[in-house]
Amino acid sequence: MSDSLSAPQPAGLTGLSGRALLRLVMPTLFAAVLLFFALKAPGFLTVGNLSSLLLNNFVLLAIVAIGMTYAIAAGGIDLSVGTALDFSALTFVLLLNAGFGLYVAIPGGLLAGSLAGLFNAGLIAGLRISPFLATLGTLFIGSNVQKLLSDGGQPIYLEAQVRSGLASERLLGVPLPLLLVALLALVYGVVLARGRLGREIIVLGSQPLVARYSGLAQRRIAALVFIASAFASALAGILLPATVNAYAPMSGNAFLMNAIGAVFIGATLSLHNRVNVPGTLLGVLFLNVTANGLLLIGWNFFWQQVATGVLILSVLLFSFASRRLGAG
Amino acid sequence: MPMPLLSDAFHPRFAQWLLRRGALLAFAAILLAFALSAPNFLTPSNLVNVLAQSAILGSLAFGLTTVIIGGGSNVVSGGLDLSLAANLGLSAAVYASLNNAGFGDVVSIAATLGTGLAIGTLNALVVVGFRLPPLLATLATMNLVAGLELVLTENTVLPSTSPLLEGLAFGSWLGVPALAWVLLAVGGVLIVLMQYTPFGLRLYAIGEYPEAANAAGLSVRGYVFASYLISGLCGSLAAFCSAAWFSGSTTGSGEMLLSVVAIAFLGVIFSQRLQPSIGGTLLATMLVGVLINGFQLLNISSFWVDGVQGVLILLVVALSGLRNKEA
Amino acid sequence: MSTPVLELRGIVKTFGATRALDGASLRVAAGSVHGLVGENGAGKSTLIKVLAGIHRPDAGSLLLDGQPHGHFSPRQVERLGIGFIHQERLLPARFTVGEALFFGHERRFGPLLDRRSQQREAARLLDDYFGLRLPANALIGELSSAEQQMVQIVRALLIKPRVLVFDEPSVALVQREVERLLRIVQRLRDDGLAIVYISHYLQEIEALCDRVTVLRNGRDVAEVSPRNTSLEQITRLMVNREVGELYPKVAVPAGALLLDVRGLGRARAYQGIDLQVRRGEIVGLTGLVGSGAKELLRSLFGLAPPDSGEVRLDGQPLSLRSPREAVAQGVALMPEERRRQGVALDLSVQENTTLAALSRFVRLGLLSPARERHTTLELIERLRIKAPGAHAKVRQLSGGNQQKVALAKWFARCSSLYLLDEPSVGIDVGAKVEIYRLIGELVKEGAGVLILSSDLPELIGLCDRIHVMHRGAIAARFAAGEANSDRLLAVATGAQRAQNEERPFYAYAIAI
Repeated sequence: MSDSLSAPQPAGLTGLSGRALLRLVMPTLFAAVLLFFALKAPGFLTVGNLSSLLLNNFVLLAIVAIGMTYAIAAGGIDLSVGTALDFSALTFVLLLNAGFGLYVAIPGGLLAGSLAGLFNAGLIAGLRISPFLATLGTLFIGSNVQKLLSDGGQPIYLEAQVRSGLASERLLGVPLPLLLVALLALVYGVVLARGRLGREIIVLGSQPLVARYSGLAQRRIAALVFIASAFASALAGILLPATVNAYAPMSGNAFLMNAIGAVFIGATLSLHNRVNVPGTLLGVLFLNVTANGLLLIGWNFFWQQVATGVLILSVLLFSFASRRLGAG
Repeated sequence: MPMPLLSDAFHPRFAQWLLRRGALLAFAAILLAFALSAPNFLTPSNLVNVLAQSAILGSLAFGLTTVIIGGGSNVVSGGLDLSLAANLGLSAAVYASLNNAGFGDVVSIAATLGTGLAIGTLNALVVVGFRLPPLLATLATMNLVAGLELVLTENTVLPSTSPLLEGLAFGSWLGVPALAWVLLAVGGVLIVLMQYTPFGLRLYAIGEYPEAANAAGLSVRGYVFASYLISGLCGSLAAFCSAAWFSGSTTGSGEMLLSVVAIAFLGVIFSQRLQPSIGGTLLATMLVGVLINGFQLLNISSFWVDGVQGVLILLVVALSGLRNKEA
Repeated sequence: MSTPVLELRGIVKTFGATRALDGASLRVAAGSVHGLVGENGAGKSTLIKVLAGIHRPDAGSLLLDGQPHGHFSPRQVERLGIGFIHQERLLPARFTVGEALFFGHERRFGPLLDRRSQQREAARLLDDYFGLRLPANALIGELSSAEQQMVQIVRALLIKPRVLVFDEPSVALVQREVERLLRIVQRLRDDGLAIVYISHYLQEIEALCDRVTVLRNGRDVAEVSPRNTSLEQITRLMVNREVGELYPKVAVPAGALLLDVRGLGRARAYQGIDLQVRRGEIVGLTGLVGSGAKELLRSLFGLAPPDSGEVRLDGQPLSLRSPREAVAQGVALMPEERRRQGVALDLSVQENTTLAALSRFVRLGLLSPARERHTTLELIERLRIKAPGAHAKVRQLSGGNQQKVALAKWFARCSSLYLLDEPSVGIDVGAKVEIYRLIGELVKEGAGVLILSSDLPELIGLCDRIHVMHRGAIAARFAAGEANSDRLLAVATGAQRAQNEERPFYAYAIAI
């Protein structure tokens, strides 16, 4: 039995047509959901709603999920994405409030968030601790440090004069946050799908022993993966306070489950149930659309969360059950 | 890259002995430190108070330990139940809601226990039926259950009182608070179950060496299923304690998860044979309880306790760097 | 034979593309020891697993006392009175002896576990049967392999079986323990049990068994009595081919010194190893479990760094702290466990073959699909890998073809030194020949090959020189033509060295 979370679907007796059929389930479901909301949810298909969806919901989750894709592709998981995001946000806000300007605050935030990744890398690649425990520990310590620094969870507001409007900047007519997502997805996606590091990550996630016996630098790959994941979350950690003009402690944790869910939705969309970046983006979209549509129908916020929870669980069940089917 | 939590390799008896003695010594040292620095620490009433305070975390940790016993301590593919904290939250909310709606003890209690069992069943079906790795499975169910809790409570506190809750919160017998008795009772029953019944022995066999259990004709899936049910039940028992302690249901029960995981894995070090055990977990629970209590008496912020727990978890984890040198 | 206690008739079992059992049969009489022999991949292990209820046969039947029985689970097999002493001990390391003996059929006190009675009974049984006295709280993990096996045997006896199956029981035992084991088996036979005894130590078979069934290519080809059949005859029945046609040996002149090992040592594994491999040479390495041969090979790949000594590759010091370093310096390994360590089953042929040489395929910072595909197709053709295409998942291929993919990965890298660990385990004869041919090609192109194998005829057929290890040292070196299986094994078991020691019991081995 594979110890890895991301072991791709074994080829099986169902053959190519069977697998193609299974691969169609998620897109069909997505299309059905879209159609349903387009028809039943008032205001769903309006420009205002969709652009708000993209800018406010999609962007941040997408960035975090892209980072999570790497962790899961390598056969592990990153429970501390929220920590990286929060540290980045905290540093960003503090630096701006102290008068340092964007050119210091942005790199500062990214660095702070990536440090969480470096910490994980040290535990995982250095001390050979399992990613689950290592990132759990980071999450734990991170949460408590934040509670201490923020006096029990008080948000820190961006002072009026330093509010940058960063989040509403546009380049060539496209909102900056969306461009950032596209750029991140492009870089991370191409490396994972076609880069040498990406291939090494996939092998590491599929059969770590084979990676070792083929001479791959397992520890270096693992370290890079978790730094990459934290970096992505750190990027989200810049955009979040830029949007809401405050740092709210431990707000990053809210992204965790959805990011994981999005990655697995994305995996089911690929031919061999392999975790991938474009699929992850679609997964994020799927989750966003579902939550948004339910909101417009009139479901309260909490029922939306239940709905996405059910959706994520179902995707996981489907993903693993289809592996069973595939294996005959 | 995913590595076993604790080395599945066998440690020589001496190393085990050393580790266990070391842990107990550390515990004793902590007790001593608090006894000297904190007022009233070593009084009997305070000590049983520690037990009472630990009832919630302890009950949850017992449930987690059961699952780990049955699933083996390999963290990715072994047994794990991350939904316990959310289980507590939902079960407490169910109790408070029904109680406040006037449903009376029998219905409220039954529904609460039923909630815990239902969650346990869901976990069991997902892990055993769909063969999802327990890490992912219980992460997903945790998410779902937490969502349901929010629906019920709308993210607010639901105050509630009942004779049961008052009895648990304020009652005592032989000078020992009711909650302390609950902790000891649940622990006691589970110790008997795990150490002194065939079920427990078989569960250990399944967790440690599933191929051997299979060859012995044991239904691995059946026993793992049962372990999740027990865990779910522990969640609802902890919910009663929590509802008594907080006079109703509260928010933020999810934050307990990390402590519960820390305690369950710390319990391995306190156990006889460096394997997950209820007794070891009980000791680990008391250690954390002592820390919380001591810090309270010394007026140190509770955040430091969490910090210490974080360090503890990393310590356990680093010690597990008696790592498996794979082939 | 009167109605045999146990009979397997015409068992067929296929795994994917491999036909492991092709109509195998076995008949065992009560009060007898029935040997089961066969070489690598002949199907012994699979047949036993079918009997044990671990694998479901595609066809065939099981008869007990002449009565047919349907498919069964391990529990049902137990109830039928068939017990197994598997090669793996199957006892949880952290259990006490009492717990390990009784889990699954515990001694109870009402609904509770009667630990004390279990412990007492365990001690009594071990003493009665084997004269073994262990400390009260001994944990399984603290026992030696032989002691664990005794616990395993007692556990099997608890169900009062009529049939007992021993699967390669002497592998991890030293000579003294083996003799004790054989006496135990004889006693059990005298008690009336029907015993199936699988071993690749033929002289054990000769000493112990009343009848022997020979398996070859998944089928029973003969059932003989060791009393009137010599070991050579039995071996020929197992192997059935001319040595020459199996090992396509091409004479290659030895080139420059490639691997130079001097005084290499690793605590508790091996010491004082001096070994050379020249370019164009195939050097063999062999030894029993515990001789240090396996550890030496692993050290040369960076899996278990040596403590002392020097290794040079092409004159340069070879750093062996990790596989990554070894590979970077030109060492390749074909590991023993192909499916776990050799190939990534869920990845495509292409992804596997390019795995060890990824930097060769990078163009403009990314992997070039065109280059990868080109190289893969080249390798598929050259190694004659039978696969639906470059993108087929390796899992779909047969064992032999998977092994070729495992090798192809290094072809792509053009490594200098090839370390092969049991290269022909578990693959059919046709594929073996192919692998041997490929090894020949490797050395023709100037690589050096070091093969670790317990298949002595294979080593004799392929290698220019053979080193035999015994208790951590190289006990003898043979040149091609000097060696035969008897002499090799004599050295491996220490017989050659022994002057005042007892002659070992077994002296002929065909690899399992």
